[in-house]
Amino acid sequence: MICLDPRVKLYLLLEANLLLFFHVNTVTEVIIVVLFLLPFFLSGKTKSALRFTIIYMLLLIIGMMTDSAGTNTLLNFVAMAAVGIRMILPCLIAGAYAFSTTTPSELFCALRKCHIPEGIIITCAVVIRFFPTVMEDYRQIRDGMAMRNIYIGMFHPLQSLEYVIIPLLMNGSTVARDLSVAALTKGIGLSGRHTSMVQIKMQIYDWIYMIISTIPLIMFKGGFL
Amino acid sequence: MKKMNNANRLDVPDFISIGIYTAIYFVLVTIATFSSGILFAGFAYVLLPALATLISGCVYMLMVAKVPKFGAITIMGIVMGLFFFASGHFILSFGANIVCGVLADIICKIGKYKNKMLILLSYIVFSFGLTGPVLPMWFMKDAYVANLIERGKDAAYIDAMFASINMGTFGICCIAILICAIIGGIFGQRMMKKHFQKAGII
Amino acid sequence: MNIISSKNISFSYMNSEQASLKEITIGIEEGECIVLCGRSGSGKTTFSRLLNGLCPMFFTGKLSGECDTSGLQAGNATIEEYVLYVGSVFQNPKTQYFNTDTTAELAFPCENCGFPSDEIKKRVNECVQRFQLDGLMNRNIFKLSGGEKQRVAFAASTMLDPKILVLDEPTSNLDASAISKLRRMILEMKQSGKTIIIAEHRLAWLNDIADRYVLFESGEIKQEWSAKEFLQFSQSELYEVGLRATRLDILKEIIENKLNSQAVSGNVLLKASNLVIGYDKKTEVYKLNTFCLYNGTVVGLVGHNGVGKSTLAKTLCGLIKPLSGSIQWKGQMVKGKQLTDHAFLVMQDVNYQLFSDSVRDEALLGNSNHEQCNQVLKMLGLSEVSERHPMSLSGGQKQRVAIASAILSNKELIVLDEPTSGLDHYHMTQVGNLLQMLKKQGKCVLVITHDEELTAQWCDYIIRLDGGNYGTGY
Repeated sequence: MICLDPRVKLYLLLEANLLLFFHVNTVTEVIIVVLFLLPFFLSGKTKSALRFTIIYMLLLIIGMMTDSAGTNTLLNFVAMAAVGIRMILPCLIAGAYAFSTTTPSELFCALRKCHIPEGIIITCAVVIRFFPTVMEDYRQIRDGMAMRNIYIGMFHPLQSLEYVIIPLLMNGSTVARDLSVAALTKGIGLSGRHTSMVQIKMQIYDWIYMIISTIPLIMFKGGFL
Repeated sequence: MKKMNNANRLDVPDFISIGIYTAIYFVLVTIATFSSGILFAGFAYVLLPALATLISGCVYMLMVAKVPKFGAITIMGIVMGLFFFASGHFILSFGANIVCGVLADIICKIGKYKNKMLILLSYIVFSFGLTGPVLPMWFMKDAYVANLIERGKDAAYIDAMFASINMGTFGICCIAILICAIIGGIFGQRMMKKHFQKAGII
Repeated sequence: MNIISSKNISFSYMNSEQASLKEITIGIEEGECIVLCGRSGSGKTTFSRLLNGLCPMFFTGKLSGECDTSGLQAGNATIEEYVLYVGSVFQNPKTQYFNTDTTAELAFPCENCGFPSDEIKKRVNECVQRFQLDGLMNRNIFKLSGGEKQRVAFAASTMLDPKILVLDEPTSNLDASAISKLRRMILEMKQSGKTIIIAEHRLAWLNDIADRYVLFESGEIKQEWSAKEFLQFSQSELYEVGLRATRLDILKEIIENKLNSQAVSGNVLLKASNLVIGYDKKTEVYKLNTFCLYNGTVVGLVGHNGVGKSTLAKTLCGLIKPLSGSIQWKGQMVKGKQLTDHAFLVMQDVNYQLFSDSVRDEALLGNSNHEQCNQVLKMLGLSEVSERHPMSLSGGQKQRVAIASAILSNKELIVLDEPTSGLDHYHMTQVGNLLQMLKKQGKCVLVITHDEELTAQWCDYIIRLDGGNYGTGY
């Protein structure tokens, strides 16, 4: 299992966005998508990497098969949809790769190394920490509503919203207080520089990969692809 | 039981509160994305920000009430942008969230985080940060068209298909956000009074 | 030498007229283990907050007197200064984790102090060795049981090697085996010379740990006992001062008897035959023996954490469907969701089931019978707060609001999930009386609990789910 440095992952995300800005052609796009999928497979997340590969290939094939659609409206529609989805797919692949292969600890270490203010790191940490809680709370609230024979309905949208969101926010405020208390007694407010147990370091292959993944873009810009 | 208010600087408990509310806000936006997909099918993308704005007014209002300090809304915007970016959204969403966050923060600051009208206005401004994920619809159009032409599609045909996605649609999107932000914001302020003030939480 | 000494300390929270602590004077020696006991609201939690700097730095208020903790003066020292000297563990295992995985949580205090990576790793390893936490490392905290969370939280509090440990009701959500594991860890720390202060309602697990018991009553220290004196008290003497039992052996005997009791009469309300329950077949499933529930009884549902008690409760309330097996309601077969019309679940965290902006509206939600509503509110002692927002009430009051809506829903089966976790003897008795009241109304009351005192004293019979996934029901 090889895993790239979180900063390289961010770079890949950036590059995925550049693809859109530069209006790259299909050949360049395919090469870069392959370069995105390779570390995805190597990171051990074979299943989701495979899923993206299949989706991308399907879209590519549909696009090619409908190239000669002529004026058939339905086929044209399918073709356009396929192209549209395919274009945003590199971003999604890079995002899914970054998300599923980076532990929060690695992310925080990377952010610290990039000299992001501690306040923003704390906020990000809490967001990641609190996501699952929001989902769990929502399930509980739904159960609570079911006990009172209230169901989320389209007829009273604001009322439904109130029933869901008020307990959610009430609980959020309680958690904010408890979490603050616990974190403060563990020294989160200490003013010195905070460190990370998990260390990340740009390895040779991280640099090499960054360069390799940039080459197709440069070649496209230079007119070679 | 209230925490110490050391001047107007954000402290750790503030960051934690901002994190909690940002998480809820992000989840609501995600829910809005899914449900607007079901409700409006293809047209969803244009109305996504508006729907999200409609339902997340309470979160914003509660955060402004709980952390009435300069920087809170900005950080919410930055972190929203970061999460949008990291989950594969277009990078413009990052920029849009930060710009709207700072502007909204300044507006609130003018009203010392007390003036209800200004808070509502700041919510409207902040909501435009949500156009970020939708912006590629317009900014990507050229790339999309280029791609289709490369595929050998008829240019005139493509133009016809894109008649619906032009600046006019962008206008609809903005007006929808404006209206929904006002409704969502007022609803949020009403909820503050009805629940949170009455329960003594703010 | 006193490591903690408090002289005439008084404290009242901001926005509160009542003083939470009045003229507290106490000295605690290094290496001592002190138990702070007393009713909820008696000031023991507030006192523990003075020792780790949370009062008055986070929970602001008016402080007078002197409280010296290892050289730090409450009111002068910041919370950050306390970090190296005092480790803290809190009541709710769900909300005291800052990280999403256990190893990161252990490293967290060290990271905040700016230790280099190798030093942090060394400390984490030592900690894992000391408490035998190997199996709990690198785990997602959302997949841990309450007991496991609390053990890791305790371990995290010792990471900076503080001289003093302050524990605020650490066991209120735990079952017996989780408590005994946590107990071993605390004992270990005591033997290594730490000063330990525990605010707690459940006293039985502290028998060989505590050196001294301090009884708080409305903000004052009412009495102090050495462990030897304290353990000689009989159960009734403890109840007199509002404390929980220190010996559970008698209670356990009663529970065993109730497990085997056959003396249940009444109409069969619900019969569950060969249930297999769970969320889906991929995750854990639980196979249960056939059991019946009767009108006018209070049934205890006991068993370790993670044997499917809450899953069963949700199944019986129609919130999830049984995977196989059948449920009969008054002799009629019912399908999963139909049970929602007959059964009401009072959740452990009732905050999730309070939706309205006043107690009266909350009670009237789903039942517009004003007369019955007034009656029920009066019966539950909620008449005076009927116009207040439910979220502004105390935990016990909120629970009673939820019970009020259960009664007003006119459902016959009422399921309560851990209604007495974190409650003192007085409030536990109050819940017990409520159960009796529901029973008299002819309801069937099913109580999920690992509170031995509640089960022994207030339940008519007991269903135990055990590790083998079989309900050795009645």
